[in-house]
Amino acid sequence: MRIFWIKSFFLLFFIGIAVRLFYWQIFKGEYLQAQAEQQYFTDVKVGASRGSIFFADGSVLASSNPSFVLFAQPKLITKEQKLTIGYRLAKILAGDGEEVDSLAKNFIDKLSQDLYWTLLRRQISFEEKKQIESLNLAGIGFEQESSRFYPEGSSSAHLLGFEGLDAKGDAKGYFGLEGYYEGELKAISGSLRNEKDARGLPILTGNFFTKDASNGKDLSLNVDRSIQFIVEQALKKGLEKYGAKAASAIVMDPKTGGILALAAYPNYDPQKYSDFPKEYFRNPVVADSYEPGSTFKVLVMSAALNEDVVKPDTQCNICDGPVQISGFSIRTWNNQYIPNINMKDVIIHSDNTGMVFVGQKLGLDKFYDYIKNFGFGESSDIDLQDESFPDLRPKKDWREIDLATSSFGQGIAVTPIQMVRAVAAIANGGYLMEPQVVKQIRDDKQTFDIKPKFIRQVLKEGTAKIVTEMMVAAVNEGEAKFYKPKGFKIAGKTGTAQIPVAGHYDPNKTIASFVGFAPADNPKFVMLVRFDQPSASIYGSETAAPTFFEIAKQLFSYYKIAPTE
Amino acid sequence: MTIIKKFEPEQQKKKFPKNYIAMTVMGLLTLILIEIWASNTAVAYGAKFEQLSGAITNLKTENQILENEIAKSASLSSVASKSAELGFSSDQSIQYIR
Repeated sequence: MRIFWIKSFFLLFFIGIAVRLFYWQIFKGEYLQAQAEQQYFTDVKVGASRGSIFFADGSVLASSNPSFVLFAQPKLITKEQKLTIGYRLAKILAGDGEEVDSLAKNFIDKLSQDLYWTLLRRQISFEEKKQIESLNLAGIGFEQESSRFYPEGSSSAHLLGFEGLDAKGDAKGYFGLEGYYEGELKAISGSLRNEKDARGLPILTGNFFTKDASNGKDLSLNVDRSIQFIVEQALKKGLEKYGAKAASAIVMDPKTGGILALAAYPNYDPQKYSDFPKEYFRNPVVADSYEPGSTFKVLVMSAALNEDVVKPDTQCNICDGPVQISGFSIRTWNNQYIPNINMKDVIIHSDNTGMVFVGQKLGLDKFYDYIKNFGFGESSDIDLQDESFPDLRPKKDWREIDLATSSFGQGIAVTPIQMVRAVAAIANGGYLMEPQVVKQIRDDKQTFDIKPKFIRQVLKEGTAKIVTEMMVAAVNEGEAKFYKPKGFKIAGKTGTAQIPVAGHYDPNKTIASFVGFAPADNPKFVMLVRFDQPSASIYGSETAAPTFFEIAKQLFSYYKIAPTE
Repeated sequence: MTIIKKFEPEQQKKKFPKNYIAMTVMGLLTLILIEIWASNTAVAYGAKFEQLSGAITNLKTENQILENEIAKSASLSSVASKSAELGFSSDQSIQYIR
C-alpha cells in the first residue's frame, strides 16, 4: 500500500512538472523569450539621414537637422523627483512666450502618469540635450530624430515642396522635388542588436546582429542659386509694384532644358508649411492653366512660316478692320487697324486680325499638329511632383471661331512650363527639350548624371531664326521697347490674356505675361514672367515686360554678357 | 620448383611521438588561455566601446549642426541682408569697355 502511495506521489509530481513545463513552453513561451531577450540583448536604432538637395554650385538648398525626442520612464522616478525634474526641464525648455510654471506643470502631469514610457517633448536641440544630460536626471532619456532644414528659408519653396508626415506618422516628401524624388531622398533606418552585461554595457565578444541603415540619395540641381535669388527678388518687387494677386517666373536653359530658376508668389516656408494655407503648396508654374494671350502668337506664326503658308513680308488682306467670324467680331487690342500689314508687323503690333489671317492660312489640321508638337495637351515630364496640364480639345470639336481665337492665344489653355518649353524650341533652333530640375543623383557608392533629353524637332532651324528676328523686332519696336536694356539683343513677346469668368471674359481681369530669350543670337536663357490680375495696369507690356527686362539685365551682368548693339 | 620466401623480422609500427601530443595539448591550452584573457579584457572594454560610440554620434551630430549653421550663414538671403547692412548696393550703371 505504501508503495502505491509513493508511486502515486511521484506520478503526480512528474505530471505537475510536465504541466508546468508545458505552460512555460507553450502558453508563456513567447513572453518569457521576450523577457530573456530584453535581459540579454540591447537594441539600438541606427538613424539615417534623408538625402540633401544642392544648387548647381554645390550650396545647400535642403538638408537634415538632427533633433531629439525627450522621453521619461515614470516608473523609475520617485514622486519627489518628479516635481524637481518637471521644474528643471521647464527652465531649460521654456521658449519664447512660454511660462516656466505652466510648462513644468505639464511635465509633472506627464511624469505622474501610470506609464512605463511617456513622450515629454519633440524637436529638442542638441544644445538643450547637452544641458539636460548634464543634470543627470533619473528616468529621463533621448531618442534621436531628424527634421528637414532649409537654409534659404522660403526661397525655392515651390521648387522644393516640403517634408511632412504620412498617415502612419512617418516622414514623407510632398510636392515639388521632395515629393517627386521621395524614393531617392528617403532614408531607411537600420538597427543594431548586441548582447549586454549586467550593467547594460555591450559584450564585445558576444553576438552582434546588424541591419544596415541607408542614407537617402543627394540631388544636385540645374537651378542656379544666384539666378534663383535674382528672379525671386525681382518678382516679389513686381508683385508689390503692380498690385498683382499672384506672380510666377521660370528661367530655363534652352539648349539643355535645365531649369535655372523657378519662383512663384504667394509662397510659403517649407519648414513651417503647416502655418500656410494649403492652396499655397501648388506650384503654379507646373500646375496652373491659363490662356497665354499674345505670347502664343509667336508659336502660331512659327508654324505658318515652317509650313511656308506665309512669309515675313506676306501681307494680310483682312486686317483693315475687325474680322467677323461665326457672328463674333475680332478686334485688335487697341482697336487700331493697319491695312495690308505684313507678318513681321503682325508680331510687332500684336495684331489679332493678322493672326486670324495666319490661322486661316495654316488651317485646323496643321495648326492642331503644331500645337501638339510644341508639347501642348501633354505632360512636359518636368521632375516636379505636382504637374498637371489641360487637355487639348479633340480636333473634331474645333469650330472656325476656335481656330481664330486660338491663333492669338485666347480660348486655349496652357501651363507656364509648357509655354516656356515651346518658346525654348524657337530659341534653340527648333528642338523641343524636356525640362529638368535635377542634373545629378548620387549616394556613397555611385553617381547618376541626368542627361539633357531631346523630344522632337518642331521647327526648321531657318524658321526658328526668322521667328527670332520677329521677336527681336517686337522687343525693339513693340509696346515694351522703353523698358528694354540698351544694347542687348533680346527676343520676346508680351501677352495680355483676359480671364474667362462664368462664360465670358472680364476685361479688367487679365494675366499679363512676357516670354522671351537672350541674347537672341546665342540664347543663354529663356524666361517667362507672369502676373495674375495686376491692378496697376492690365497689360503685359507695362507689368511683366519691365520685370522680365529687369531680371534679364541682371542676368547679363551675371553671365558677363556685354551689349552688342 | 622451390619457392623461397624471405622472412624478415616485422618492423615495429611507428608510434606518434609523445612530445608531439604534449606540444599539441600545450598549444591548445595556450590558445584557450589567450581566448579567456582576450574575452575578459574585451568584456571590460564594453564601457569604453559605449563611450566611444556615444562620442562618435555626438561628433556626427555636432558636425551636421555646424554644416547647417554654415549653410544658413552662407545663404544668399543672409549674405544680401549682411551686405546691405555694410552699405553695399547693387550695380546701378555698368560701363563696358570695347
